[in-house]
Amino acid sequence: MKEQPTSSDQTSNNIEVWEDLVSIKDLAIALFVSSFTTLTAFFLAPNGASQPLFYGLGGALIGFILSSLIIKPKRKFDKIESED
Amino acid sequence: MDPILLLEMVGAAIVAALLYTIIGVAPGTDETAVLAPVTLVLVLMGVEPVVVLTFFISAIVAKKLTDSVPVAVAGIPGGVMATPMVEHALILKRHGVPDLSIRKMASGSVIGTLVAIPTSLLLAHALIPVANVIKDYANPLFFVGAVALALMCKNRWLAIVSIIPFAVLIQGLRHLYWGLGIVPEDKTVFVSFFLGITIGPVILMLFELLNGEKRRTLKRYPNKTITLHKGKQKTGFPNPFTILSKRELGASAFSSLMGSFTFMMSPVGMTIFLGEMVASRIKDPVKKATMAISSMDALTNATYIAGTLIPLIALGIPLSPMAIGPANALFNAPPVFTVDHNMHDVLSSSDFIWASVIGALVALVITYFIIVKYAEQICAFIFKRIPHEALLGLFFSLVLLLAFMDAGWINIAGVFLIGIVAGQLHRWGVNYGVQFMVLYAAPWIISQLIGF
Repeated sequence: MKEQPTSSDQTSNNIEVWEDLVSIKDLAIALFVSSFTTLTAFFLAPNGASQPLFYGLGGALIGFILSSLIIKPKRKFDKIESED
Repeated sequence: MDPILLLEMVGAAIVAALLYTIIGVAPGTDETAVLAPVTLVLVLMGVEPVVVLTFFISAIVAKKLTDSVPVAVAGIPGGVMATPMVEHALILKRHGVPDLSIRKMASGSVIGTLVAIPTSLLLAHALIPVANVIKDYANPLFFVGAVALALMCKNRWLAIVSIIPFAVLIQGLRHLYWGLGIVPEDKTVFVSFFLGITIGPVILMLFELLNGEKRRTLKRYPNKTITLHKGKQKTGFPNPFTILSKRELGASAFSSLMGSFTFMMSPVGMTIFLGEMVASRIKDPVKKATMAISSMDALTNATYIAGTLIPLIALGIPLSPMAIGPANALFNAPPVFTVDHNMHDVLSSSDFIWASVIGALVALVITYFIIVKYAEQICAFIFKRIPHEALLGLFFSLVLLLAFMDAGWINIAGVFLIGIVAGQLHRWGVNYGVQFMVLYAAPWIISQLIGF
């Protein structure tokens, strides 16, 4: 397998998806984590009118929180103190 | 009104206001993608319709109030609708007054809401007599709507030509599912196709990432540098009527009124057109910019509210860009709501008034107060804590879930297929409005084609 050439600046490896930057590896992790938690919760749900949907959503939310904890946003900050 | 129901409505409005104050700030959050799935889920879960409507109104007011915040703080639009304002907000930032733009925009939003709610309710009632005539022609109207919106696209001929093939794709999948017996004949798969269109651009991109050649040629970026302005802590309760000058108040109110009347038009188009118009005669750059952003924000708010309430109250069919996109679940969320039997038929006039007023007021009080006071802190938190990957993961998993619930595993492939096509159309400049209209018009288009 051919490796992507890694530059000294490791961070400059982001691509733009839907108006913001992501790294391909982190995106793959996030998609996997969210899909896994969502579908697992969905299939674990007891059979009822709206319960599977409700569980699925809970799973999606857990996936979202997990990926937010694992993945670092691709943004850095400059703070400017503005004098009024 | 029943006090317990009233309490539930207030509760729903509070939850929506808090939730969408946060979501509104996150960059790249398309209005349809963040509003439609949540509303849909509430409807499908069997939440009382009047509570859902209260939630929705509070959500759009809060979302509209906040999506201008990242524009002011970092020059990044919090949503598609905030894009026209970036240019003016950057002027204010350059003049060192970014907090002024937040206060002006938020106050504009307040005016927009205050004007749009009564106007929409009145306009809707005025339209009720003609509603039955319009309703009889709902299906051809969706087709006409698709053609009209296509003509307004950047690539209008491409958009026109893609209408029928896209309708064939949608109906083709539905007939496949009926033919295989995985979906009963009386059920039309809708929700997952709708979401497939919404995140089409993302699905297309994900497939492209599997193409090694394409992946290696993609442009790479370093981390995005965001400049956050740290202003002084404000004290006291902010008053929109003193934050806006008399002229800005007048222009905002006028734009909101226009926005309510033109509820069938594209909100982004109207925003640019009217916003630039009211600001064009002012020379001073700061005054010009504050005039533009306050009236633009007022107008987007008004088109959102009017675009939801008027079709909902008067017609019961989603005949506006807003109704067919973000507010879609109020009109069509099978099996709870269908085009023939939805919130329009379930709620009474007083329900509509209560839901709109409670939703809007709660969102205004909570969100306006929060963002005028804590704009910088909220932005900093979201930009630092919420990775874009997590948001994409969330949308993706919701689509998987609803695709599976609609028609089983095979429909995940079906929704991917719709996403690839919709994403490519989107990239070619065929906007969501056209695609959603086709989704509605598809059965009619195909039946007409066979009739030839």
